[in-house]
Amino acid sequence: MDGLAALTLQNNSTFDSIIQASDFFIFTSKLVDGMEKKLTSADPKKWLEQYGNLLLQYTLPRVNDRELAEDLVQETFLSALKGLSGYKGEASEKNWIFAILKNKIIDHYRKKAASREILELPNLNEGQEDWFDETGTWVPQRAPHDWHDADNPLERKELQKIINWCKKNLKILQQQVFTLKYMEDLESEEICKVLNITTSNYWVLIHRARLQMRDCVEKSFLKI
Amino acid sequence: MMKYLMASCLEATMLMAKKEEGKISFREKLSLMMHTSMCSLCRRFQKQTAVIGSEAKHVHAEGDQLSVSTREKIEKILDVNN
Repeated sequence: MDGLAALTLQNNSTFDSIIQASDFFIFTSKLVDGMEKKLTSADPKKWLEQYGNLLLQYTLPRVNDRELAEDLVQETFLSALKGLSGYKGEASEKNWIFAILKNKIIDHYRKKAASREILELPNLNEGQEDWFDETGTWVPQRAPHDWHDADNPLERKELQKIINWCKKNLKILQQQVFTLKYMEDLESEEICKVLNITTSNYWVLIHRARLQMRDCVEKSFLKI
Repeated sequence: MMKYLMASCLEATMLMAKKEEGKISFREKLSLMMHTSMCSLCRRFQKQTAVIGSEAKHVHAEGDQLSVSTREKIEKILDVNN
């Protein structure tokens, strides 16, 4: 439970901003949640209505599989119910449930890595030459172009959609590394353990993922 | 001398990922700083990649809803109807 609580604290801000990024209704209900937190204890009968779709919406882009996402949400409620006596009310109920979900998502990646063929590991010596010439300088056609800043909520939402779309075009391991690092906020050591890869694998994968993502976002974002 | 000290664009973009996680040595930091102070393309890369990183945390499938069958299973688990 300690691990869970730590995870929860670390990620509070992420969930908060997801909530704020959605709509006014959810935002106000969050305020009410906050006010009522001390007065009411956890009420599992309300969980489905309160968190069901939010949990699904969080999970979907992180696992890219509808059926699996629904299973993970279901398992999350089951684990939350079983662990209810351990819930001390230190984190908000929502963050507590999300922390359980996050563990389920990471577990899914761990299981996937355990059954992975060794052949799928990246060749450390290929890939970057697409972007750089032999001196390590940007190839003009692949060099970053200027974007306008996505500074209003609508543009940010659009950018988030594009990020999700571009992520699906990454090779599978790059995609997993990108998801765990940028969407799940894990540290590199933990990602290496979860995905069962070496540190040098990790740096190559994350570097390529960053190059690829920026490239794809640029091509899609400028088209808007 | 300069060539030894200063990173290339390839190395600089790699070092940015390491810097983001605090896994960067003093010498690497220095060669990254020297590079980005002179290379506007890499400065742009750094800025845009940071935006992608921070927006990625907020990605969610807006509007998606649980299927009826999953809802029913969860209702049973949570004993909603009793």
